Amino acid sequence: MKTNLSLPYLLTAIASGALFGAGLYVSQMVDPLKVLRFLDFTAIPTGGWDPSLAFVIGPAILVMFVAVQISKRRNKPAFDSEFHEPEYKKIDLPLVGGAALFGLGWGMSGICPGPAIALVGFVPENLWLFLIALFVGSYAGSLVIPSGRDRRLAQAAAK
Amino acid sequence: MESFAPIPALIGGALIGLATAVLWLGNGRIAGISGIFGQLLPPARTVVWRVLFLLALILAAWGTSYLVPGLGIGGPGGAVAQLAAPPASFGIPTPVWIVISGLLIGFGTKIGNGCTSGHGVCGLARLSKRSFVAVGVFFGVAILTVTLTGIV
Repeated sequence: MKTNLSLPYLLTAIASGALFGAGLYVSQMVDPLKVLRFLDFTAIPTGGWDPSLAFVIGPAILVMFVAVQISKRRNKPAFDSEFHEPEYKKIDLPLVGGAALFGLGWGMSGICPGPAIALVGFVPENLWLFLIALFVGSYAGSLVIPSGRDRRLAQAAAK
Repeated sequence: MESFAPIPALIGGALIGLATAVLWLGNGRIAGISGIFGQLLPPARTVVWRVLFLLALILAAWGTSYLVPGLGIGGPGGAVAQLAAPPASFGIPTPVWIVISGLLIGFGTKIGNGCTSGHGVCGLARLSKRSFVAVGVFFGVAILTVTLTGIV
């Protein structure tokens, strides 16, 4: 794989990151306490539930869905030679177990990876501990379980 | 209902969708944040765009708090950003709770190949079966965790 360092490619990454950060802030996904209030379904009967964040994912999926449909009519993206589509399709234990562990951690703190990064500018107490743990956990995961890409390649080789 | 704000949520969601669309149509990359930072670690192959993406994300989130104040945390007159403390009855110090949460999220998103953005936004938009399963599991477990711990 050739590393792409062209200016349009890097500017696209910057534009995407900036839009992402603005979106996380405007939606207030960046506030862990708001996320926890959203995940607290026990507050529904008492009327204390804050359902705002249920409105975030809908338009996000809709816009991306349109982009995916556009990409199906193209051979390649604007600034790279191929769409890096995840090709591993199997529903397996690492997927389900990983999602469960992520859900547990998310329910403990209300921070998913995007907001964790976006919070850097707002320097809440203990964030640095969270970020180090996030990296250590991710690195540990990569040592334990081969990536989806590697599993797919192994699967293809075994055929 | 407490601090119910659907309009900023819709606009913010559309911006996040636009971010993933730009990266997909421009560079053919999935804007999954756990993937983008997770692959900064060895054996990292493509570091530069990932670092630029994350720096832009940090700066834009912070900058937006000044451009559009009054939405919540940060910016002029905004609330101070805080991480959640564990329920007092658990007797666990907050830093320990935060570290456990971070380890679980880092490990879980790595072996599960994605988080709220990679599976939740990009995967569902691609109609990926793996992502539908992952999103169902992590949302379910997160809601269950908040319910059972009574953290809010």
